[in-house]
Amino acid sequence: MSKLYQGGLLNFFNQDQLEQVHQKTLDILREVGVKVENKEALNLFDEKGADVDFNEKLVKLPNALVEDAIDLAPSTVVLYGREEEHNLELGGKNVYLGTGGTAVNVLDLETGEKRKTTTKDVADIAKVVQKLDNIDFFVIPVFPDDAGKEKADEARFFSSLKNTTKHIMGGVYTAEGQKKVIDAAVGIAGSEQELKEKPFISFIASIMSPLTMEKDYTDYFMYAVRRGVPVVGGTAPIAGATSPISLPGTIAQTNAEALFMVVFSQLIEPGAKTLYGTVPTNMDMRTSNFRFGSIEMGMMNAACAELAQYYQIPIYNTAGVSDSKAIDIQSGYEKMANILMSGLTGTNYIHHAAGLIDSGMTAAYEQYVIDDQMIGMVKRVLRGLEFSEERIAYDDIKEVGPGGNFLTAGSTMKYMRTEFFDDQLYDDRDWDDWLKDGAPDARERAKDIVREILDQEDENLVDQELLTN
Amino acid sequence: MSKMEKVVEEVIAGNVDGVTELTQELVDEGTKPSQIIKEGLVAGMDVVGGRFKKNEMFVPEVLISAKAMHGGMDIVKPLLTEGESSSAGTVIMATVEGDLHDIGKNLVAMMLEGAGFEVVDLGVDVTADEFVEAVKEHQPDIVGLSALLTTTMPAMEETLKSLEEAGIRDQVKVMVGGAPVSEGFANEIGADGYAADGSTATDIAREFVS
Repeated sequence: MSKLYQGGLLNFFNQDQLEQVHQKTLDILREVGVKVENKEALNLFDEKGADVDFNEKLVKLPNALVEDAIDLAPSTVVLYGREEEHNLELGGKNVYLGTGGTAVNVLDLETGEKRKTTTKDVADIAKVVQKLDNIDFFVIPVFPDDAGKEKADEARFFSSLKNTTKHIMGGVYTAEGQKKVIDAAVGIAGSEQELKEKPFISFIASIMSPLTMEKDYTDYFMYAVRRGVPVVGGTAPIAGATSPISLPGTIAQTNAEALFMVVFSQLIEPGAKTLYGTVPTNMDMRTSNFRFGSIEMGMMNAACAELAQYYQIPIYNTAGVSDSKAIDIQSGYEKMANILMSGLTGTNYIHHAAGLIDSGMTAAYEQYVIDDQMIGMVKRVLRGLEFSEERIAYDDIKEVGPGGNFLTAGSTMKYMRTEFFDDQLYDDRDWDDWLKDGAPDARERAKDIVREILDQEDENLVDQELLTN
Repeated sequence: MSKMEKVVEEVIAGNVDGVTELTQELVDEGTKPSQIIKEGLVAGMDVVGGRFKKNEMFVPEVLISAKAMHGGMDIVKPLLTEGESSSAGTVIMATVEGDLHDIGKNLVAMMLEGAGFEVVDLGVDVTADEFVEAVKEHQPDIVGLSALLTTTMPAMEETLKSLEEAGIRDQVKVMVGGAPVSEGFANEIGADGYAADGSTATDIAREFVS
């Protein structure tokens, strides 16, 4: 199991407010309803007791149907890696952070110029992430332009499987592609049953805001559940555009949409492994631009963890994308503020936490290394003071006394390798040496780390035969 | 593993008792003291220095290893014949007048000791005259000046002037260090070297005596 970090040090809601959001959410699902543009799904909702208007394709959920699904949905979902150290126990206030998608551009490592992403970028980014210890999981980050939509699913999942043993999650582009990916995963697992028991891949099939399920995504969602592969029905409303401008309003709608997908999963298969997927964002009101790294976005995403804890359903959210076009001060403060908030509230599966700038449209290799550092720092915060009588170290203070030093004190020897965050990007040269070496900043140092990783031999972490059948 | 190799291992492990016992046994068996120093104690510290540079060993571990090495040195040093030296060189170290900060100076002193230097630590708030007296008394190869405060940096220049006036400036190499000190400042006041940390100070000291 991956090392455990827990949040719960930050709250946006009190208990009354959580209940109020819940009541309004029930009102939205019962009175407003969700448009479902998929015949099979409409039939299922109808069959299971929802109020379905087939002409309007509108599904309204009685309170009991929602409450039952909340009870039925697993409180803990383990997403597996192909090595045990990468297993993720999602639930409660456990915190894991990983990558997110889906960017269509990447900053070329050598030229720094923006170019379209390819299958090789999927592989290379997976290879880099495999070596970055603070990143817990791999949501496939980029679209392979060379493969095109028809070949995208294989290109994305297979390139990922070859280069990382961390849990792999991604959206899909075609039903055929999704089937191929699951079939290959069954081959790697050994059997359909083994994949169900230890799913090392999972899917994202989102609901559109406001309150609309698109036909294809609904199919992908149903297919995943039926084959026993975990799936998130994430929602990403844009406050001011596709949800209310007010943060509580957007959170209420987000909650309704995310719960609707939880209900859907439990109607398809009671006990299905799903996550409560919330990615509330906002619009820049001056330009209509989409903001993926605003501070309000960070607040809303972090706050949703408290709703997930209220429902006892594991949460998937977003934090750590920057709206900056450059790897700069803006990308630093946007990312750090938002992943720290989501970590502190105890969000289980924080995706988009590494690699993305330009509101999620562009990835950058060195940004993965920089973000791995930030994620490590957030985890250090979550470790907390580890307060104990022993760690107060009174005996050492007494022994060293006034004017001495603690360089070889007992507590120093015991904790020197673990008390402080192992900061790989920190520059330990003095000013003159640093200047002589070309005055590299954190970005340059991060690029060197990327080059070191990419220069290593490919490991081919999965048997090629299992991917070609 | 030979006893000598064990000395190396115990120095690396920072085991004072182990190093002391093994050194005594080697002496009792008739091994030459200079050989024990070269192939055992200093060889161990050379490994430690290498690991420290690669970030495999941390500062406290280096200091503990140095302590273990000195456990052995204390036994063999009195046995050296005239002309043989146990030390890589002698260094006088102190924080300059008006400054009471000493953690940096102490770290440098400990690292130098770890590298086999004899360090005479004059302490803190040491005047230029006291430096002059100490140089006359101990005949060091190197003088190390430390300052943390920008307000006490001029005392470094004072000290250099005093050594000059006393006619002993050429007998020693002078290195300076401390948070506000830079290579530029070191050149300006006529020091022979600037070290940003203990590890650099050790490298420079080795150059000075080679």
